[in-house]
Amino acid sequence: MRKPATRHWPFRKLATLVPVALIAMLSVNVALADFGQPNGITNEANKMHDLYLLVTVMGLIVFALVEGALVFALFRFRKKSDELPSQMHGNNLVEVLWTAIPIVIVVTLFAFAFRTLVDIEHDSREEDLTVCVQGFQYQWQFEYRLNDMGTGTDPKAAAAAKQIKGNPCEVAGNPADITVIGKAGPENEPTLVIPIGERVEFRLKSTDVIHSFYIRDFLYKLDVIPGRDNKFTVTGNEEGTFFGQCAELCGLNHSLMRFKVEVMSRENFNKWVAEQTAGTKATRQP
Amino acid sequence: MASIAVPKSTGYERPAILDWLTTVDHKKLGILYFYFTMFFFAVGGVLALLVRTQLAVADNAFVNNNVYNQIFTMHASAMLFLFIIPVWAAFGNYIVPLQIGAPDMAFPRINALSFWLLPPAGIIMFSGFFVDGGAAQAGWTAYSPLARTLGTGMDLWIIAVLLLGISSTIGAANFLVTMFRMRAPGMTMFRMPIFCWTVLATSILQLLATPVLAAALVMLYIDRNYGGSFFDPNGGGNAVLWQNVFWFYSHPAVYIMILPGMGIISEILPVFSRKPLFGYKAFVFATMGIAGLGFSVWAHHMFTTGAVLKPFFAFMTFMIGVPTGVKIFNWLATLWKGQITFETPMLFALGFISMFLIGGINGTYSAAVPVDFALHDTYFVVAHIHYVLFGGSVFAVFGGLYYWFPKIWGRKLNERLGQVHFALMFIGFNLTFFPMHLLGLDGMPRRIATYSADHNWDFLNSLSTAGAFIIAVSMIPFLINVTMAFLRPKDQPNDPWEANTLEWWTTSPPPVHNFDDIPPIYSERPLWELKHGKGADASHH
Repeated sequence: MRKPATRHWPFRKLATLVPVALIAMLSVNVALADFGQPNGITNEANKMHDLYLLVTVMGLIVFALVEGALVFALFRFRKKSDELPSQMHGNNLVEVLWTAIPIVIVVTLFAFAFRTLVDIEHDSREEDLTVCVQGFQYQWQFEYRLNDMGTGTDPKAAAAAKQIKGNPCEVAGNPADITVIGKAGPENEPTLVIPIGERVEFRLKSTDVIHSFYIRDFLYKLDVIPGRDNKFTVTGNEEGTFFGQCAELCGLNHSLMRFKVEVMSRENFNKWVAEQTAGTKATRQP
Repeated sequence: MASIAVPKSTGYERPAILDWLTTVDHKKLGILYFYFTMFFFAVGGVLALLVRTQLAVADNAFVNNNVYNQIFTMHASAMLFLFIIPVWAAFGNYIVPLQIGAPDMAFPRINALSFWLLPPAGIIMFSGFFVDGGAAQAGWTAYSPLARTLGTGMDLWIIAVLLLGISSTIGAANFLVTMFRMRAPGMTMFRMPIFCWTVLATSILQLLATPVLAAALVMLYIDRNYGGSFFDPNGGGNAVLWQNVFWFYSHPAVYIMILPGMGIISEILPVFSRKPLFGYKAFVFATMGIAGLGFSVWAHHMFTTGAVLKPFFAFMTFMIGVPTGVKIFNWLATLWKGQITFETPMLFALGFISMFLIGGINGTYSAAVPVDFALHDTYFVVAHIHYVLFGGSVFAVFGGLYYWFPKIWGRKLNERLGQVHFALMFIGFNLTFFPMHLLGLDGMPRRIATYSADHNWDFLNSLSTAGAFIIAVSMIPFLINVTMAFLRPKDQPNDPWEANTLEWWTTSPPPVHNFDDIPPIYSERPLWELKHGKGADASHH
């Protein structure tokens, strides 16, 4: 028994165009914006971005299939008569299938995620220099130690610096040669300077509350936790100025804990070091 | 007819107000829960509008940092603790005893206590706005040591959440006993409606997880007031410990906030496609699976602390996607080859499926640990939780309200206004929360009071703010609808939707004792069986 023709939706043909248009718009966006995420400026970030792309492609496929099936069902199976539909209570085969297939998908995703994680976190090569980062309410401080960054003039001291076990930022008698301290106010954001193509280690420290050291184009953040020695290493592969910001709510002026990151050539980095250390080991105003 | 005239009075009349204040009737308490939670939904919504107004443009000074931290903290606290979690107790209270054919909850007085702990908790939490230093401002997650350092508003927040925890723990025990002991003859566990199963799973989570939160809150209170240092490294404590104990409750709490919503969807879909829920038992197992796995994924909120075993929690987090996926497939299969109609409850149920799917997919980004490093604590995560808790839970709340309104209040809500409400809310919701994905990917951290114009985050933020106001506007047709309904006389038959479960057997609204008689129960759809299946001839409808 068909419903009267007035119930027939006049825009049905048009409606099939909607998903097509959506997909077209989406693919344009995707092509333009690299699926929305910047590609990253470190070797590690590039790997994480690849994983991001994989998750996104998988997600879009699942989205298209499930949402497509839903929209199809709503059009195809909308009420046409008062006849009772067949009362299907279940089907073991399809239920096993649609449990097994998602398991395969998520285990695959996990395997890729695990590989990327091992890749970026368990590189046994020694770092080229260490930057000691301290977060405080509400700014950042970056410390450099000369003999630990390939710019030292005394090979003995450099060798000794390499021998330091544990956290070089905390060892007594190993004072910082360059200290960059941020101050409140947008124009006083500190700048973190690192050389391109070298393995830079960040040791994170806080003595007040938890902060999070986040640089967007590293595609990475690590929490700065009082009482905990957190560290990570990256190798920059693109010169330029980027931005960073505290990513863990840390109190009143959390939103102002911004900083800049400059990735530069070793040559320019050496110049910067020379400027900073010229004369006294003065604290650099940003 | 199932209903016979029951004398309204049982001997003496109490003033209505006294009756509402002292009632132990699960239906009246359920209605009180509804009024309470919808009130705080409105309060949380206004706070959200303030947040969105502040973030609409770069370098905005609509509110200062201090106020901003208070309003986003209280927005989340109101929505999670005073709306979503107790609103399931509203549905559970009203519907569960009716669906299992019981005259009331197992412990009616404890049930009243569960409810009456809520208003003081709400008042205490919001009284923070009137004390020195303002309301709580450490986020709803109250990370320590930050939470140690803040003003009195934080103590009020702790006490309020403790009270809410007690309410939800004793409420959970009540639901469990009710479902274990009070089912009508013939209603075996596997003939319980699926909504009851989701409340059962939720109650188990609440019973096991909430005491951990209570312990954590007491420890934080000691840290703040009595010189403790559980969470303060400067006194020998551990800052990450708070996150472990907090998320050990609060991750299961996410399932506490969504499972009954899934239950409501699973009641609505079969009714409006004229088919049984596809894979009822699989659905029950998936629900229990989510509840079980829910205890093993808490540290996926903590990948960037560097203090948790990342591969384990990543693996478990991926795995919990499987039972969730099974549910979505079950819903699709329920629609498949049905006779689908699009009444307002169905619109919200379908909205739930399509939005919750996105909330599941964008959750996998955080399960893939190296991707989470970039996205954690950005607006991407804000998008994710809202696709789950708004696109999911809130759509389910409205679906459930439109669905059970005739039963609870004896009047039907207007369909046209319901459609307008749904359309506005659906559009507003996506406009508010979809751009947040892109903002998060572009590096906008959450919980920041303002951002620099350099980032070009203005456009997406303005879209999001516009969407938030559309959501607010969508409440207008809803309120008109409810008001108009209340002005009409109660005219609803027992079973206006031709539904499946026992609550539709009795009158709308039901009498104090719920049922005069109970039909024979052969499946999870006793009313369907009466109309179309076994025992159809025994029907006295």
